[in-house]
Amino acid sequence: MTVATAGVARPARSHEFRLPRIGWVGVAILLGFATVALVAPALAPYRVGALSGPPLEGPGSAHLLGTNSVGHDLLSQLLSGVRVAMFGAFVAGTGTALVGGAIGLLAGWWGGIVDLVLMRIADVLLVIPRLPLLIVVITYAGTGRGMVALTIALTFWPEAAKVLRVQVLTLRHRTHVTAAMGFGAGAWHSMRRHVLPEVGLVLVAALVAAAGRAVMLQVGLAFLGLDDANRASWGSVMRGALKFQGLFFTRAWVWWLLPPLVAIGLLLAGLTFVGTAVEEWVNPRLARHSIVGRS
Amino acid sequence: MVGLYLLTLLAMVTVVFGLPRALPGDPLVALQDRAGSSAISAETTAHLRSYYALDRPLEYQYRHYLSRLGRGDLGWSISRNVRVTRLIGGHLPWTLLLLGTAFTIAAVLSFLTGVAAAWRRGRPLDRALLVAMTGLRALPPYVLAALLLIVLAVLVPAFPLAGARTPFAAYSSPLGVVGDVGGHLVLPATALSLSLLSTKFLIVRNAMISSLGQDYMVLGRAKGLPVRVLKYRHGGRNALLPFVAAMGAEVGFAVGFSIFVESVFAYPGMGALILRGVETRDYPVLEGAFLVLGALVLILNLGAELVMSRLDPRVAGR
Repeated sequence: MTVATAGVARPARSHEFRLPRIGWVGVAILLGFATVALVAPALAPYRVGALSGPPLEGPGSAHLLGTNSVGHDLLSQLLSGVRVAMFGAFVAGTGTALVGGAIGLLAGWWGGIVDLVLMRIADVLLVIPRLPLLIVVITYAGTGRGMVALTIALTFWPEAAKVLRVQVLTLRHRTHVTAAMGFGAGAWHSMRRHVLPEVGLVLVAALVAAAGRAVMLQVGLAFLGLDDANRASWGSVMRGALKFQGLFFTRAWVWWLLPPLVAIGLLLAGLTFVGTAVEEWVNPRLARHSIVGRS
Repeated sequence: MVGLYLLTLLAMVTVVFGLPRALPGDPLVALQDRAGSSAISAETTAHLRSYYALDRPLEYQYRHYLSRLGRGDLGWSISRNVRVTRLIGGHLPWTLLLLGTAFTIAAVLSFLTGVAAAWRRGRPLDRALLVAMTGLRALPPYVLAALLLIVLAVLVPAFPLAGARTPFAAYSSPLGVVGDVGGHLVLPATALSLSLLSTKFLIVRNAMISSLGQDYMVLGRAKGLPVRVLKYRHGGRNALLPFVAAMGAEVGFAVGFSIFVESVFAYPGMGALILRGVETRDYPVLEGAFLVLGALVLILNLGAELVMSRLDPRVAGR
C-alpha cells in the first residue's frame, strides 16, 4: 500500500471495479445456494410433509440427513428451506432496498416538507422495536412468504433510505446537476442521468445489507412459528427440533438441529463476504482498516 | 427530541388500533376465524363488541381505546382468559433481567475491545477482533444461541439446557435462588450480549482511531502520562458520545434479539409470551407485548439522550 502524498494524484477508482478475493468467495456461495434453490424440487428425495420413514432415524442411505420425530425426511425439509431463505434474500431484500432507495431519492431530491415528513417516518420506524411490530402485523396480515417479504420491506427500509438520501443530497447541488437543470433538464431526467449512476454502488451495498437482514428475519420469523405451514424452512426445522423434548437425550440434534444452523451460517457468510467487498468499492478509505487484505 | 418519542408512541398505538380495523371484515370475525377450536358464542361476541366499543363510530373507538390504554388496560388474553397486563407482569421481569445483564456485558466488553483494537490498529489483535466481530455481526442471534446451547449445555454440560430456574427446586437459602437463576441466565445472556457486541465495538474503535491522531494525545504522551490514562481518560472518553448514541439506537434491536434468544432457551420472558401468543393467535397479548416493549425502548432511548446531553451539553442544544 502506498501513502498518497500531496501532488501525487490518486488513480481514478470510479471505473475500476475489482472485487477483492473474498467477494468472489461470497459470490460463489450465493450462486451455489441460488442453484440449489432452483433445482431443489428435483433434488429432494421426498415430499416435505411425507411420512417417509421411522421417526428419529439417523443419517443413512434412505435418509441422507435422517428423519425428525415424526418421520419427515430432513434433507427434503432443508432443501425446501433453501428456497424459502433465497426467496427472503431476493424478494424481501430487493424490496427493502427498492422501497428505501426510492424514498431516499425522493427525500434527498425534493428536500423541504417531503424530506421532513419521510425522514420523520423513518425515525419513528428506527426507534420502534421492529421485530415485535413485524410479529403483530404478520399475525394479522397472514404468514405467506410473499406477505412476510412485503412486511419486511415496509418496516426495514429506513436504513437504505437514510444512506441514499445523504448521497443524493450531496449530488443535488453539484454544479453539473445545476447546469443540466439550467439547460432545462427535468427532475426525472437529471435524476436518471446524473444521480442514479453515482449512487448505483451505494444502492448495491444497501441491497446486500438488506438481503442479509431479510434472510435473518424470514428464517427467524419461521423459527417463531410465523411461516407458511406447508413449506418447510430452516426456521421451522429449528423450531421443531428445539420443541422436541428429548432432542438432547439422543444424538438426534446432530442431524436435526445442526444442519439448518450450518446452512444459515453459510448463506449469511456469503452475503457478508460480498457485502464487505462491495463496501470497499463504495468507500476505499475503509480498506486500510478492514478485514480484507489488499490484493 | 421528546417530540419524536411522543410521535413514535402515537404511531405504535395507532398501528395497533388501526391494523385489525383496516383489514376487511369485522375484527371479531377475524378473531373467531383464527381462534381455532374455541368458537365464540353470540353473547361473548356482543359483550366484546361493547367492551371494545365496536358499535360506535371510529373516532369514538379511538378515544375509547386511548383512554383504556391510559388506564393501563391492555385487554384480556383470548387463550388464557387473564388480563394481558397480568401476563406481562409475570414475564417482563425475566426479560428485563436478561436484557439488563446482556446489555451491561456487551457495553463493557465492546468498549474495552474497541479501545484495545484502536490502540493497536492494523496489528494482529486488531485484525483478529475485526474478523471475530464481523462474524458475530453476520450470525443471527438465534443461531448464536443455538450454537452456545450445543457447545456449553450439551457437549460440555456446564449450564442448564432451558428455563430460568430449576422446576420444583427447594432452595435452602436465598443464595441458592440467586445461584440457580444466575446459572440459568449465563447462556442466554452470553448469546444476547455476543450479538449486541459488534456494532458498538466498531463505533468505539473508529471514534478512538480518529482521536488518537489529535494533538492532545501527542502532548499527553510527551508529558509522560501513563498509557492507561492516555488510553481511557484522553482517548476513550471521546468515544463515549457515539458509544452511548449507538446504545440508544440499538435498544430496539436488542428487544427483538431477546425474543429470538428466549425462544431458543425456553426462557420465560416476553419472548415466551409472544411465542405462545403467536401459537394461539392471541392478538391482545401480542399487541400488549408490542406496546410494552415499545414503551420500554422509548424510555431507554430517552435515557440515552439524557446521558448524552450530560456528556456533551452541545447535544442538548440541537
